[in-house]
Amino acid sequence: MLSVLIAGPVLGALAVWLVRDPRQIRLLALVVSGLMVAWVGILLSRFDVTQPGMQMLETWTWLPNLGLNYRLGADGLAISLLALNALISWVVVYSTPVEVERPRLYYSLVLWASAGLAGAFAAQNVLLFVLFYELELVPLYFLIGIWGGPKREYAALKFLLYTAISGVLILIGCLALGWLSGRPDFDYPQVQATVARLGFGLQVTLLLVLLLGFGIKTPLVPLHTWLPDAYVEASPPVAMLLGGTVAKLGTYGLVRFGLELFPSVWAQLSPALAAWGTAGVLFGALTAIAQKDIKRMVAYSSIGHMGYVMMGTAVGTPLALVGAMAQMVSHGIILAILFHLVGLIERKVGTRELDVLNGLMNPLRGLPTVSSLLVLGGMASAGIPGMMGFVAEFLIFQGSYQVFPLLTLLCVLGTGLTAVYFVILLNRTCFGRLDNRTAYYPRVLLAEKVPALVLASLILFLGVQPRWLVQWNETTAQQLAVTQLASAPLTQSVSLLP
Amino acid sequence: MLAWFLESVWLVPLYPFVGTIIAALWFPGIIRRTGPRPAGYFNTLMTLVSLIHSGLALLALWKYEPLYVQVPWLQVAGLDLTLPLEISKTSLTALVVIFLVNLLAQIYGFGYMEMDWGWARFYSLLAFFEAGMSALALCDSLFFSYMILEILTLATYLLVGFWFPQPLVVTGARDAFLTKRIGDLLLLMGVLALWPLARTWNFTELAQWAQQPETIAYAQAHPGIFLAVGLGLLAGPMGKCAQFPFHLWLDEAMEGPIPATILRNSVVVITGAWVLVKLMPVWSLSPGAMGVMVGVGVATAVGASAIAIAQIDVKRTLSYPVSAYLGLVFIAVGTGHPDTALLLLLVYSLTAGLPVMAVGNIVWNCITQDVTLLGGLWSRRPISGLSFLVGMAGLVALPPLGGFWALMQLLSDLDWQSPLLVGVVLLVNGLLSFSFMRVFCLIFGNRPKQMSERAPELHWPFILPMTALAGVVLHIPQILAAVDLLPAWQTDWGILLTLSTVSGLTLAGVVYLSPGIAKPVVLPWRSFQDLLAYDLYTPRLYKMTVVGLVDLVSRITDLLDRYVVDGLVNLVGVVTIIGGETLKYSTSGKFQWYLVTILLGLSLVVGLVIVTLS
Repeated sequence: MLSVLIAGPVLGALAVWLVRDPRQIRLLALVVSGLMVAWVGILLSRFDVTQPGMQMLETWTWLPNLGLNYRLGADGLAISLLALNALISWVVVYSTPVEVERPRLYYSLVLWASAGLAGAFAAQNVLLFVLFYELELVPLYFLIGIWGGPKREYAALKFLLYTAISGVLILIGCLALGWLSGRPDFDYPQVQATVARLGFGLQVTLLLVLLLGFGIKTPLVPLHTWLPDAYVEASPPVAMLLGGTVAKLGTYGLVRFGLELFPSVWAQLSPALAAWGTAGVLFGALTAIAQKDIKRMVAYSSIGHMGYVMMGTAVGTPLALVGAMAQMVSHGIILAILFHLVGLIERKVGTRELDVLNGLMNPLRGLPTVSSLLVLGGMASAGIPGMMGFVAEFLIFQGSYQVFPLLTLLCVLGTGLTAVYFVILLNRTCFGRLDNRTAYYPRVLLAEKVPALVLASLILFLGVQPRWLVQWNETTAQQLAVTQLASAPLTQSVSLLP
Repeated sequence: MLAWFLESVWLVPLYPFVGTIIAALWFPGIIRRTGPRPAGYFNTLMTLVSLIHSGLALLALWKYEPLYVQVPWLQVAGLDLTLPLEISKTSLTALVVIFLVNLLAQIYGFGYMEMDWGWARFYSLLAFFEAGMSALALCDSLFFSYMILEILTLATYLLVGFWFPQPLVVTGARDAFLTKRIGDLLLLMGVLALWPLARTWNFTELAQWAQQPETIAYAQAHPGIFLAVGLGLLAGPMGKCAQFPFHLWLDEAMEGPIPATILRNSVVVITGAWVLVKLMPVWSLSPGAMGVMVGVGVATAVGASAIAIAQIDVKRTLSYPVSAYLGLVFIAVGTGHPDTALLLLLVYSLTAGLPVMAVGNIVWNCITQDVTLLGGLWSRRPISGLSFLVGMAGLVALPPLGGFWALMQLLSDLDWQSPLLVGVVLLVNGLLSFSFMRVFCLIFGNRPKQMSERAPELHWPFILPMTALAGVVLHIPQILAAVDLLPAWQTDWGILLTLSTVSGLTLAGVVYLSPGIAKPVVLPWRSFQDLLAYDLYTPRLYKMTVVGLVDLVSRITDLLDRYVVDGLVNLVGVVTIIGGETLKYSTSGKFQWYLVTILLGLSLVVGLVIVTLS
């Protein structure tokens, strides 16, 4: 029952208005999001990883004249993103400070956003997808605009404008698909059949419109400038939601509405798309190196990591696709831990400036556990083996090298640059001498560490046991693949030539 | 019973790993209740257990063929990543060496780190290294070797950065991490590029693949591809083994604690050479890559041994010989002699820790690392002095100790077919002899100076591991003979090597012990001396090339992002606002105007529709 993942948070969002005590509001939100995690666990246990296509289908006819049906389903990609969404939503609720202002509005907005995201990932009707896509936008605008930093209004408005344009582009693309089919039916199989009948030029045009739309959401360079402002100005939990799951709507759209709907055009455009992804990897990493604010650095790292997803999706080999999907989940979890820790540092130390921070690894007066976890998160993001980020990136590289060797090597260079800025961040933040005159930081409570500990355990577990990360996607990736690779060694296949 | 130890030898890397995790609990939680020491004791115990287990496994395997164990890890979309383990005499010997050196370094740490509250973190990292290195020794796959090397790079960062409040430590840790990471990523590129050629990363299968006639034919037809792949694969070991131009990190890593230095100088750097030797079949496909390997080895061996002579920091005088010695290993592999390379590595890894321990003793209570401030310690520290001498004699070619036999084997392999390389080996041996003797004379010779006036010999945690290791070093020839690894005596090479060693030792003794030569010694060519003292100006070279380039490009990208991409977006916003503000004054408020505008608009639309329809 995928609907529970939508209905649960919606009911929760309404129920928080019935409670007055801030602690009970938080408890209620925690219980609701915790139940969603448990429910996703049940769904995962029932998910048949060997079966291609959509599972757990639910269909209700809603507005047949418009072609809008309430149709939900999940394949490997959707189920992993639904799981990510449930987990990150719980972490967001948990890591929100108890003393947050206007708690009822805050938690209901978070739950609304979570419901919207779950709906978008599970939707099997294009119009329903757009509806959920827009539904998640509104609460996030308020979440940035009300609980954000000093420049929150600018950031929120920029986010709203960009995302609204992205929504409009996607709506135009989707409506065009329905209009071209000649009858109002927006269910995915129908839309897929329609696209297959279209001419090449029309397919390219539609794909470009959708690419722009999802490219803004992901974001892909140069459509990204809303991201640093939004991530930096948003409070850390909201930034976790934005980077952890909301950005995945963009990458999800690239796979679902790009690769899956337009396989032949996608295969033709794939060199350009792969180059686009690689440009994002390098641009994100290089810009991150020049940042002086650790939250901004993490925000730019996100742009780079989305480039890997684009790269893997563009290549379209089964392995690269498994990698791209794994990267969506792994990036969500790693970014969440980074934003959580950066948020903790800001709250305890009072600054995010690289030039001011120093020596937090100090075991007595610094923040040793936070620093250790930050090392882990940063290194996971830089793709050090043994952690989940490596598995995803390696699968992308291995899947794409034989198709685009040069671009793949440039992406490997990108992981090197990622290591550069994380070492800068860790060296300045965690290493160095703590200033004894100013180092009177409040203690970090165990409760504040819990989200990071949960995420860190996942990062390590899925790094050591990557089967748990990729098994959900494998069949879906095989089905979606647009490029197949030779399986014989190059040396032997060539030697067979006359 | 022995068979059980052999069958379960794959457990061995897990013992120190358990130690890593248990020790991490002491940071910083339990420390307040128990103090940090139990973490260290527990890890040392784990190392002892690992040593016994791997030693017994080696005994059990002695007369048998290697065993292969497959550990499934990940099968996805046609890619099978199963971890193959090779349990052979070589890999088990490597395990014994790793655990023996670790055990001694950890006991040494009891003394050296006595006052340090970071025990838990320190021992946790040492154990992590142990786990990684022992896994690497057993691992029979290039891919998993890469993974382990990369994880060890992170561990190096944390271990070098152990005393993180010191600025030099912070930069040292950064440089160690980034230099090794560059090597690792180039290695990853090589790993990726090797797959379409061979379809395997398993060392054993790679060896079979490389011997197939079609592979050899393909390699001969495409030397460029194999050179590129080879250079990628070479970069990883170059980074780990601190070869030119990736050598600076080892020098900076000397800012870390000495027990870690013992481990690093004797076994950690070897990880790279180990992979280099394992890849021998692949190298044989690319003469170009082997040529580069020899070139790198020669440059590093000569350059680093010369730089070592110009250093005044005692730990640095011992770090450059590491690069130099591994340069000789590169020469051995590059000329197609992996067995000699393994012999060099075995002798080296058992011996290299000894001079570091001896020097560590001095640093610990003389509180300086500057050799020019030390002197006259022979009478006060005879055990340390003797141990240093034994370590020195074991490393350079001084009969009858281990280094002599390994280098003699190298010379006999190179033979007069490559007289230049023979000359290089003799020169490097001479320079290293000079360098070690110089350090010995400066620390232990002459009269005591202010910093070395009161320097008694230290207590058992220092002396016990050092003398134990000295015992091992003295017995290396017997050990080699017992396992049939002792090379045959070759009179001409033996004499040449001994001559080069003796001349290096004598020259250094004369220069640094004779009161007639002013100290510090100043060469007539000052700029040459500075060139060596400042490490060929490598830091400056890095800054002007790689570091400068990344810095510049990142700044430009940032400016581009800030002022062009975002600037354009903000410009659109500003234009919209100004447009709105301007238009707002064009409204007069008169009803008639609005009506006219609506009518005009409507008629325009209707007109357009009519024109289109007609």
